This record gives sequence, structure tokens and C-alpha cells, in this order.
Amino acid sequence: MIRVRSMLMTMAAPILAVALAVLITTVVLLAAGDPVGRVWGTIFSEPRPRNIVNIINSGSVLYLSALAAAVGFRMGLFNIGVDGQYRIAAFAAAYVAGQAWVPGILNIALAILTAMLVGAMWAGIAGLLKVTRGISEVISTIMLNAIATALVAWMLRSVAVPGSNNITTTPIPESSRVPGMALIPGAHNEIYGFVFLAVAAGLFYWVLLSRTRFGFNLRATGASESAAVASGIDTKKMILAAMLISGAVAGLVGMPLLFGDSYSYGVTFQPGLGFAGIAVALLGRNHPVGIAFGALLFAFLNEQANALQLQAGVSAEIVKVMQGITVLSVVIAYEVVRRANRAAEQRRVAAELARARAEATEVTG
Amino acid sequence: MRRSAKIMIAGMAASLVLAGCGTDDPDGPDTDPGTDPGTSEVKVGLAYDVGGRGDQSFNDAAAAGLDRAIADFGVDSTESSAIDGEPESAREERLIQLADAGFNPVIGVGFAYAGAVAKVAPQFPDTQFGLIDSTDAMGDNIANLVFPEHEGSFLVGAAAALKSETGKIGFIGGVNVPLIAKFEAGYAAGALAVNPDIEIESTYLTQPPDFSGFGDPAKGRTAAEGQFDAGADVVYHAAGGSGLGVFQAADTAGGLAIGVDSDQYHTVPSELQDVILTSMLKQVDVAVYDYIKSFIDGSPLSGEVVFGLEAGGVDYSTSGGLVDDIADQLDEFKRQIIAGEITVPDSM
Amino acid sequence: MSDETPVAVRLTGIGKRFPGVIANDDVNLTVHPGTVHAVVGENGAGKSTLMKILYGVQAPDSGTIEVEGNQVSFSSPADAIDVGIGMVFQHFQLADNFTVLENIVLGAEKLHGTGERARRRIRELASAYGFAINPDALVEHLGVGARQRVEILKVLYRGARIIILDEPTAVLVPQEVDELFDNLRELKAEGLTVIFISHKLDEVLKVADEITVIRRGTTVDTVVPADVTARDLATLMVGSELPSPATEVSTVTDQVLLEVSGVGLVDPHGGRDLLTDIRFTIHRGEVLGIAGVEGNGQSELVEVIMGIRHSPAGTIRLAGREISDESTTRRRETGIGYIPEDRHRHGLLLDSPLWENRILGHQTRPPCSRRGFIDRAGARADTERIVTSYDVRTPGIDTHARALSGGNQQKLIVGREMSGDPVLLIAAHPTRGVDVGAQAAIWDHIKTARRKGLAVLLISADLDELIGLSDRIAVMLRGALVGEVDPRTVTPTQLGSAMTGAEVPA
Repeated sequence: MIRVRSMLMTMAAPILAVALAVLITTVVLLAAGDPVGRVWGTIFSEPRPRNIVNIINSGSVLYLSALAAAVGFRMGLFNIGVDGQYRIAAFAAAYVAGQAWVPGILNIALAILTAMLVGAMWAGIAGLLKVTRGISEVISTIMLNAIATALVAWMLRSVAVPGSNNITTTPIPESSRVPGMALIPGAHNEIYGFVFLAVAAGLFYWVLLSRTRFGFNLRATGASESAAVASGIDTKKMILAAMLISGAVAGLVGMPLLFGDSYSYGVTFQPGLGFAGIAVALLGRNHPVGIAFGALLFAFLNEQANALQLQAGVSAEIVKVMQGITVLSVVIAYEVVRRANRAAEQRRVAAELARARAEATEVTG
Repeated sequence: MRRSAKIMIAGMAASLVLAGCGTDDPDGPDTDPGTDPGTSEVKVGLAYDVGGRGDQSFNDAAAAGLDRAIADFGVDSTESSAIDGEPESAREERLIQLADAGFNPVIGVGFAYAGAVAKVAPQFPDTQFGLIDSTDAMGDNIANLVFPEHEGSFLVGAAAALKSETGKIGFIGGVNVPLIAKFEAGYAAGALAVNPDIEIESTYLTQPPDFSGFGDPAKGRTAAEGQFDAGADVVYHAAGGSGLGVFQAADTAGGLAIGVDSDQYHTVPSELQDVILTSMLKQVDVAVYDYIKSFIDGSPLSGEVVFGLEAGGVDYSTSGGLVDDIADQLDEFKRQIIAGEITVPDSM
Repeated sequence: MSDETPVAVRLTGIGKRFPGVIANDDVNLTVHPGTVHAVVGENGAGKSTLMKILYGVQAPDSGTIEVEGNQVSFSSPADAIDVGIGMVFQHFQLADNFTVLENIVLGAEKLHGTGERARRRIRELASAYGFAINPDALVEHLGVGARQRVEILKVLYRGARIIILDEPTAVLVPQEVDELFDNLRELKAEGLTVIFISHKLDEVLKVADEITVIRRGTTVDTVVPADVTARDLATLMVGSELPSPATEVSTVTDQVLLEVSGVGLVDPHGGRDLLTDIRFTIHRGEVLGIAGVEGNGQSELVEVIMGIRHSPAGTIRLAGREISDESTTRRRETGIGYIPEDRHRHGLLLDSPLWENRILGHQTRPPCSRRGFIDRAGARADTERIVTSYDVRTPGIDTHARALSGGNQQKLIVGREMSGDPVLLIAAHPTRGVDVGAQAAIWDHIKTARRKGLAVLLISADLDELIGLSDRIAVMLRGALVGEVDPRTVTPTQLGSAMTGAEVPA
């Protein structure tokens, strides 16, 4: 009963937040003199089959990115560096896969392993700096993002296929591409085969965090570092481990795009996924299912916003405003719900104490 | 540069160069721009890169071409621009929506649309697709509208070397991508052709995928100040909106700067006009206009269409008169390039 | 009660309810001017809420407040200060790196500026009330007693005529308590009114002119010290007999369980050593108490034994096996239970359910985990066991730790640390901030375990607890063990002297 009620309250928060975001965005639109009705009509219209495919595809990528951020969040680490980690990892994986040192599916496995290792390594630098030198991971990962940008740009130029304005790594051979799935009837485009990678990562995240001793230690460190230390957790080791896992998951972010769409890493490889992931993780409250909803919501908004300019003459960027407000209000809403839950719990405890006391007086009196 | 089959558009473009902007190539019009501005059945869809209309740069040039087509032919049009960090599928979706809604031709502004055009064009065989700055997507219904930026840059490089007193000049690229490297390569070749001992400082503002280098005047200013401090007295920028900062730095340092894409003498605030030696004209507006016109004329361009020196697709500008004294030398270089006597490298 | 002179403070029918909890209900309190009026009650009886209402931090739901004959209502502490009420909190609110003067004028710059005028005023106040204090001393160099005087000066400087002191003696050693009481008498002599909140009955009887007892949120009686004994007061407070910590027969064996020798610790931030050459042993079935003013190395000693900090020298042996280089987890697995001094910071995950808190510190052992995986069923079942056998008052094991009262939180911790049959229990302030009922229960648990052969290292600021539970008491001063006293013969006063460095009685 109590659990159902607290679950309902948890659900209420994001729904309220989205409603609030719609309201505030409406005010923004009105202030700008934009056609409010047509904007919402466009965004909340029924997506076409090909749009559904796009939503699922970009949702899976956002999901991976948010998981990477969430691993850090669960222990109070702010890995801002998912962005740099996934780009450098995607580049490395694209290069390795493009070289086709091993055939077919082995090549895919090798590339994914490379991506996870490189992502973990890049995040691990920030972890090491924090553990050995006490440098805030926020600062170091931001720096590492910039370094990753420069490094990837430089390496890309060194290995790129010349002769085009869009330089890319050698395309992955046909035999090592991950075929899409034509699951949505009526859509020409296909769902990335690597959507399952996102699902697998979500399952892994859930088991790791809520079922393993490692996950308990990670959450305990996030909840109270001092209590974690007193309980025997080596928090330095945990920081390093969490950064490595976060980086490895970040390494996966680019994989659906690489093996299902672009088949190479080039200057037009989708940037900014790391930052979007942070927002989605906040939205999904670091919960594997919540994040899935958040990722799909963001992907839905992005996809639907594409038609805004054509349908309503409003820049698609308005949807970024809406996403920002959603995240902000969701954070506030969660806090409100958390306090309400806490107050309700205290009431229940007080009631329990009163009952116990009454029984005691009955017995003695 | 690819030497595949191409159509050289001569003259047609040159006539459209704005009167008053002045080029040294008044070949005379082959076509009459004063076609009836009445209504046309043609609906043009224009898909911009990030920044869209109003970026004071590349996208704006495309918009200018569309505006002229609207004025001249009365075409209907819709524009849509990319947003930062969007997935490849969003660019595809944009083209699909335009094509679906009956817009024809559909123009993708910038090489970032190559992948999307390659995917979408086959799905809409009856729609014509224009793709600026890229030959990566080829097809019967695709026109690749490209420019030999290195050749135009050669001319302004020569101008810079001729004007430099310190023997040191600068280049500022917005983002370190091959397209901008083309500008740099041509510029360097032009300068070295004039003065084999010249020193060239080169700076790129950002690295991909950070494309902010095309729209950050503060970054442009800082980089240019560095080059002027290091002794350069002429700086060429291929940095879009960041160029304003380059001009400001030149103004402060008492140096000269070279603009890009449009004749920037006419786009900068008047107090900065004095620092503009010349501009490397890359007539994206002309390409857009010509492409729309070819469609209206019933024979839409397709395949690789090079807007070259001869056609005025790339050129140097003379507004402000600072290059009047060296115009003869520059025109001689131009002639030699057109004649094939000089081959300008397109990468460093 | 005489009504000839207006009373200083009169509270009538004050009520305050929080969601589900009645903090105050029909509280009536009359404080006469120029007196020390004590308000006593158990932890959680509603004293703090009442004082917050009187100081304007919270508004009452019902009832009236009268100050010096005028009815008032406060919307913030500023209003209370305006009518001459000042409050000295239990936790000092001083900036260490500021001088006394700076701390006093901070936020009251408008009164006498920040310079010579302010300094003169502080000197006047200090001499008027017999406070020996140098306005230009840095607060970080002051002892606890002096800091408290600064807090009182702060309140006087702002023009307070009615001063509320919240548990002022909790942080003081007996000698400092006497000094404080001298100060309070001076204040009273000058016509000021003091409201003194405490649950230490001996002290209250010593200093108060009148005593009001609060139980379960309501005032039960107001008495004069001459008419009552500490026992009477305690009975009024809890409505039952006061428990006593006294141990029965000695259960000390001759088997050494914990042997600490030559342990030291250097302050990583420089300065004096935190611990110097600590040596002691604890036998099976023995409770070794550590007495000392807080901040003399007790916390560090505990952390070294737990493996949270590492001593560069010396050895620690548990049941004959050296554990100096082992991790905290390993030490816990060998059978060390740990009740940390700050349960909120070190003992609990406040926003996690009770059953997850059961796992904390026991991650590697059944019933909480199996082969790297958390055994949820096992942990939940064992939490139910603790809740039942340690009488943790909670609606269920999914309740978050934060929702429980301090006593119930502590009972959960004790239950957790006693599970898995530890051989050594390190108990730092095991009953601090815990109500009388829970205190008695925790003492019982420690005594029972001791009978079964548990060795206990007990650190406490409650000298009664220390004397009552310990078989031996070692005195700690400035990071060193400076002597041992026999709890059977020592008095709290003697122990207090020893803690401040006076000669240790033989």
C-alpha cells in the first residue's frame, strides 16, 4: 500500500514537470508572438512510422549516455566527461573496425571492447586525478572533454580518408555492420540492431547497482561517504571503479550510430550526446526504467521538433528550452515529493510510537 | 580536387554579382536577371546548417541567393535549419519533410548534408536536390554545387603578400576541417608565389565537432591579436561570424584583414571598413540562385557544378580601393590559374 | 506565584504540532525576572520546540506569549531580540578565525560600530557580569567554556534581558560548569533573567530558582529546588524510575583480546601529534572506558583501531593476531563491532531503508551478502530480528533511517553491531542524545554481551555512564593516555579534574 502510494508520487513528479515545462514554454512562445497552438499541435502530433524509428534509435543512444552519467551520480560523482569519453571511444572503435583486422562479428566485438576500454581509460584519468590529487572530477572531466576534442580532431586528420569535405575514418566493411530491424510497419528506415546493446546495458546497470555488493558500496558511498568509510568501504577504490564503469558505458554511446548508421567516425558524427545524457539521467532519477522514459521523451521531443520550422515557423531550438525547463522542474518536483514522502514517513513513525506507547500504558495501567 | 565531369558555368553567375559590390570581372550578362517577378509554381526548400539564416556567414549567403530568386521569380520557399548536436537522422528527416511537402528543388546548405542527401534523394526521384560544398552524394537528381576556394584564396594570399611590409602574414580558420584547410592552402600558395620567403602564421579557432569557431568573434579577435603581436600585418580569416573579431583586432593593431565569402567591406560596421584589404568571394548566393534558376528554366543542374574563378564563383573583391594598385598583378594570377598555368594546391 | 511585579516571560496554552506529532500541547510557563528558571525534560519531550517558539524561530499554533507584561508575537528571531530575548545554542555559532570582538559585532554592526566603541562596550559588559575575556583574542584559541562566554556576551551585546541557554553544560567539564554557574549568578544579580534548558538534574538543582518539568510536550509541574530531590525530578520527567548504568559482578577474564601498543598519529595538517604512544589492553569480558574532554584524541584512537586511519608506528593485536595492516572491512570481519560517535555521519545511511542500513558494515558477510551479491531476503529477515529484539520502534524495515528518533536509530546500530557475535565492541558515546528508555536498553545490551565475554572499548562524555559501565577507566589528554582510575572509587568530580590534566587520584 505504502509502496504503491510512494510509486504513484514518484510518477507524479515527472508528469508534473513536463506539464510545467509545457506551461512555461507556452509563456515563452506567447511572449515571442509565436503560434502556440501550432507548436504544440506539431510536437504532440502522432509521430509517423519513420519518426518512431528515429525516436527509438536516438532514444537508445541517449539512454546509454544517461546510464554512463547515472553510474557516477549514484555515488555522488559528476562525470561531465561522458561527452569526451564517448567521442574518443567512438573514434577509436571506428578506426579499429575500419581496419578490419579480424573478420565479421569478431571485428564488432573487438571494436566494442576498444570503445569500452578507451572510454574507461579516459574517464579513469579523472578518477586517478581525484583519488591521488584530490582534483574535482567536474573540473578534470571538463578539461578532458576539451582535450578529447583536440585529440580526436588531430587523430582523425592523421587517419582520415582524403578527398572530401567531411573527413572520416575508413568505413567499416559491410560484413561488420550491424543490420537494422524493420520492426515498425510502414517505415523505410530501420531500428538499430544495437538497440539491444542499450537494453543490455540497462539490465547490467540495474543488477550491478541494486543486487551486487559492489553496487551497494557504490550507493552507500554516494549516500554518505563518511558512513561508507566507517563501514569499511575503500572509497578511493570506489571512485576509481565508478569512473571506469561510467567511462566504459560512455564508450558504448557511439556504437549504435557507428555500426547502424554512419559506419565511420567523421566530423559530422553526432556531438553533444554526453551533455544530453546528464539531463536524461536527472530526468530519469538515475533509475534504469526512469532513464528509459526520459531518453524516449527527449528523443520524442527532438524528433517532433524537427517539423516545427516547417509547420509553425518556430525554431526547433524552442524544444531545447522545453527540455531544460523539464529537467529543472523535475529536479524541483522530485525534491518536493521527497520531502512529502519524508513527512509522511515521519507521521507513520510517530503514529507507530503513539500506538506502542498507548499499548504500554494499557498494560501497565 | 576531383577532376570528374563537371559543368563550368561561365558568365551566368558573374552577371548576378551585386552591382556596387564591384568585381573586376564584368564579363557582361548572359542572362537577363530581370525575369518577371510574378508568381511561380516552384517551391524551394532550403535546409541550413547549424546557425541558419542570420549567421552573418555561410548560411546567410545561401539565404541571400534564395531571397534574390524570390524577388526575381516569385518562387515559394520554406527554410529550416539544423540545431546543434542533432543526429544524422534529423538532417534526413528535414529533407524528407521538405520533399514530402512538395518542395522542389530542395537545397542542403553545407557538406554536413551529404549523408542525408545520399539517403533521401533516391527516395524522392522526382525531387531535385542541391548540395553545397560536397561531392560525397552523387546522383541523377543531385547537384553538387562546389567552389574552388583554394583558387580564390590564392588571389587574396597574393594580395596579402604584396601588401605586407613585415614579411609576415596570418591565416585564421574557423574550424579545423578540410574545407577550411582548402582556404589556407590556396592562401599560402598565393603568398609564396609573390614572396617565397614570406612567413605565414596559421590558427584554427576550434576543432570539430566544436563548430563554435564559425560564430565566436571573441575567439577570432584573440587569435588575430596574437598574430598581429607576432608581427603579422595582414590576416585572412575563413571563420564566418568570428571574422568580426579579426577585423577589430586589425583595427586596434593598425593592420589589414581579408574577409571571406561575401564582400565584407559592405557587411562590417563602417568604422572597420578601412582595415579590409579585400575579401575572398565565395558566391554561395550565386550558386543557390543559379541552381533555382536552372530548375525554373526546365534544365536543373545535376552532377558536380563548379563555381570557379572564370565564372566569378570565387574571386577577390575591390571595394575600398586598397587593392587598386595591385589589381593588375592579381588579375594576371587569375588568368594564369584559369589557363591552367598555375595549379593551386587544395590541401596543406 | 506573585503578580506584583510583571513577570519576565509568561507562556499560556502554547501548542505546536508537526505533521503527525504534537511537539507542544498546552504549555504554561511563568518566569520571574531576575531568576534562573530551568526547563527540564527528556530528549524529545518538547523543550527545544518550546524554546524555538519563544525565540521566534517557529510560530505556535495556539497560545500566547507575554514578555514583561506585554503580549507579543514573533515572526522571526529578530522580533524576539527586539523585545530583549537572546538565545545561546548548544552548538556554538562562532567563526573560529575571527576575534571575540569580530564575532560579537558580526550582524550587530549598527549598535556600536565595529571599532573602539564596540570594544569599550564589550569590556563594560564583561566586567559588569564578571566575564574574563579579551575582546581581541582569536576564537580558535579559546577553550569551550570561554567560547560559551563569548556566545553569552554576544546575546548581551544585542541588549538581551532574558537569556535562553540550550543545554549549556553538555559540552563542559565539571569545573567549567561551576564557572558557568558563577556567571549565571552574576547575570541574575544584575537583574537579568535566565532560562536554562537541561536534562542534567543535579546541575539544575544547583543553579535554578525554579524548575519547570516538561513531559511529552506538556508542562507537568513547576517546582522549587529546595522541595525536591533529583529522583523526584526524574520521576516527574519520565514518569517512572530512573535507570542506572551500574554493572554488577566483574566478568573480566585473563585472556587479552585487544592489545594496542605504541600507536601514534601525526596531524596531516601539521601541528601537534594527534596520538602519542598509546598502549593498553582489553581482556575478554572487560569494559575499558576512555575518559577525556572531547577532542583529545578519542575519535582518532577509535579510527586507528577501526583501520580508518593508519598509525605509522606501533601494533594492534586482536586475540593475538596482528591487525595493524588490515583493512577496515577485514577488521570488521574478524569481529569488531563499531558504534560510531556520530550516528548520522558515520553510522547510518539516513535516506536508505532500515534493511539497507543493516547491510552497512556487513556487506561481506552473511546474512547480508553471498558471493558478491546482496542477499536481500537475508538482510531483510535479519533486520526484522533486530527490530524485534532491540525494540526499534518503526512501522517497518522499509522506513528510512532518517524518520526514526535518535534512540531508535541508535538501537538499530547497536543491534547491527552486535550481530555476527563480535569479540570486540567499540562504543563511542553509545547513548548520546538518546532518551532514557533507549539508554537503559543499550546499557543492558552492552552488559549482557560483556557477560558473554565481549571486550568493550567505551568512549563517553557522560561520566556517570563511564563510571557505571567500565571495569577500568583510562584518562586521555592531548592524544595520550595519562593515567588510569578505578571506577569503583572515583567520583565524577575527580574524574573531571583528571580529564583537565590535574593530578590523577591514585
